[in-house]
Amino acid sequence: MPSALKLQEQYGDALQVIFVECQGASRDQYEAFAWKMKWMGGRALWTEERPFPTVGNGLPETALVGVDGTILMQGHPGGFGKKLEEAIAAEVKKAKDAPEGTPTPLRGAWKSFHKGEVAAALLECDKLGSDDAQLARAEFVARVERRIARAKWLVDQGFPVEASELVGKLAKETKGVPELESKVAAEAARLAEPERAREKEAAKAWDTFVEAVAKKKPFEPANVKRAEGLAEKFAGTKAAERAQRFVALSQVRVGS
Amino acid sequence: MLRSLALLTVATLALAPRAAAGVGDTPSYTFRQPPVNAMGVKSLEDLRGKPVLVDFWGTR
Repeated sequence: MPSALKLQEQYGDALQVIFVECQGASRDQYEAFAWKMKWMGGRALWTEERPFPTVGNGLPETALVGVDGTILMQGHPGGFGKKLEEAIAAEVKKAKDAPEGTPTPLRGAWKSFHKGEVAAALLECDKLGSDDAQLARAEFVARVERRIARAKWLVDQGFPVEASELVGKLAKETKGVPELESKVAAEAARLAEPERAREKEAAKAWDTFVEAVAKKKPFEPANVKRAEGLAEKFAGTKAAERAQRFVALSQVRVGS
Repeated sequence: MLRSLALLTVATLALAPRAAAGVGDTPSYTFRQPPVNAMGVKSLEDLRGKPVLVDFWGTR
């Protein structure tokens, strides 16, 4: 567990760690457990749903899914040694390159895309006009659309800080691509709506709180009281809901 | 009788767990409930383009 958390911290947004609870604990139980263990507050995802079956007979078990979605390694993490870290580093590097088997003339388009120059990447595909180029074009658009959908979700769910960061990046990257630019602009406009100002203030206060308590003793009475105060002060916001959930989780009895 | 057995077999197969994934497979999965801290991630497909480390663990 701690080694996966360290890897998430080390690679940031370039790697996604998903923790899957496999012993039947409820969401409340494992989330409270993770807070108590000082594992929360980072980018890792937590779920009780196995996105694919385990292959061994015991826990823990680790699987590495490559940039193309293929399972590259799976088993007891102790058996991997340094191979796991090497494979992650290789995949992070691969994420910045064209996929394996990409025809040479298309490599430039992928390079442009990874540099965030979406208009240039699409133009190169259009110039080439081949079936491969059209497939790559569709993939570029799909990837940007997925990020726009994520931005929309972040706005809707009261994560204005993360949404602003993503929308800012997307605005730069989609410059010169009207059909994408307009969708990004729509999210930027929603973020700027006056009624979101309170949500932004609340989200910042919640983020500051999490940063302050996650690696210390999250459920100490003083922290729980502070969370209660946040929930009260920003009542009606998504951040207040998160603060209320934190307070509720502090009351959950967990195994350790 | 044979027809009933055939129907039962088809129904059983449809309800059976997915075939075991493993190294070399490309699993597809949409979460029924978004993971904690999901930040808009709803499926494995949403993470295509970056490596994903899946850590199966237990609270006990």
